[in-house]
Amino acid sequence: MNKLSLAIASAGIVGILAGCGGVSEVTKERVARATSVVQQSQQAVGNSEAGAIEMQRAREYSEAAQNELNKKNADAAERLAIQAQLSAELAVAKSESAQARKAADELTASIETLRQEAARSQTP
Amino acid sequence: MKKVYIASRVLVGAGLAAVIAACSTTPDRIESLENARTLVSQVEGSPRAGVAALNVTEARKALAEANRLAENRGKMNDIEFQSTVASLNAQIANEKIKTAQAREEIEKGTAERQAVLLQSREREAQARALEAERRSQEAREATLRAQALEQELADLKAKKTDRGVVLTLGDVLFETGRANLQPGAYSTVDRLAQALKEAPGRTVLIEGHTDSVGSAEFNQRLSENRAESVERALLERGVAANQIRTVGKGETTPIASNDTAGGRQQNRRVEMIFQEDRAIASDE
Repeated sequence: MNKLSLAIASAGIVGILAGCGGVSEVTKERVARATSVVQQSQQAVGNSEAGAIEMQRAREYSEAAQNELNKKNADAAERLAIQAQLSAELAVAKSESAQARKAADELTASIETLRQEAARSQTP
Repeated sequence: MKKVYIASRVLVGAGLAAVIAACSTTPDRIESLENARTLVSQVEGSPRAGVAALNVTEARKALAEANRLAENRGKMNDIEFQSTVASLNAQIANEKIKTAQAREEIEKGTAERQAVLLQSREREAQARALEAERRSQEAREATLRAQALEQELADLKAKKTDRGVVLTLGDVLFETGRANLQPGAYSTVDRLAQALKEAPGRTVLIEGHTDSVGSAEFNQRLSENRAESVERALLERGVAANQIRTVGKGETTPIASNDTAGGRQQNRRVEMIFQEDRAIASDE
């Protein structure tokens, strides 16, 4: 998170330099890391419906970041990498919350069934 | 979501836009910034915001930066970038809050389910104990009823023989030469009927006998009729039909000499043979 805020804080300075073409190793690393986070998130989300849209968006951001990196647009590449990473994180969070919600609802339903069965067996 | 997506499209061209954006003026109302403000204030207001503290902090920071840029007429794409970062962090926080909420429910629900299961098991055990008590009570009552019949038979001076317990209804209990029971037999029949009803597993074979006076055919019919007369009296008092069988033996089975009046009177009789649990012995 500190790295993220550092990236945001430095975004203004980077923006000015972006026009001049030179792309630092730091930027390359950030884009590479975003790419790998997106890939890992894809595995975590799997086929889950929840988070699928966010995952798609994360891949688009990630590709766009790579394109900007190829065009030596460091500022744009860094920003897109940040958004790719956040989108991937959101996709995972969404699939996890959907899973937890489903488990909670199933549990509630099973308790209700148990209660009904108990009530039935009490009146033979 | 669509707004964020549009924002991303805007940002895809960020490299080029950055140069142009420097000169463009900032509009009064920026859609992505408005969104970010709404989303951030929503998660900040949640009592469970603590589970996503880092995302909430990042969202606030980015929103503060977006607000500062907007106030200072900063570059449009800088404002939109910071707004997007704020929105995404707020959304992640919101999902983490929802997950925590669902997990709390699961924790409570698991305990509740356990309690419900325990309760129903206890109720089942109670029901089983009651059922067992009821059965043993029934068994005790059945024993008492069976003993009641034995007691009645003993009181009525029944004899134990290898055919079962035999109770003899003497000649005086019937009208002379006829099958009808005299009122004097009623109390004995009442007691036997009551004892038989309380021991539905017991059966009785009713045998009619006569002396040798008169034709054998007449005596046969009379013995059958007397046995059936006793059967009818028992049935009228509520004894089940499947507990009773009747047979007429006529004059074939005397128990005393037919040469004397006393012997003949002994031979005119109805024997009631009580058997264990429906095992009715051969009529012969």
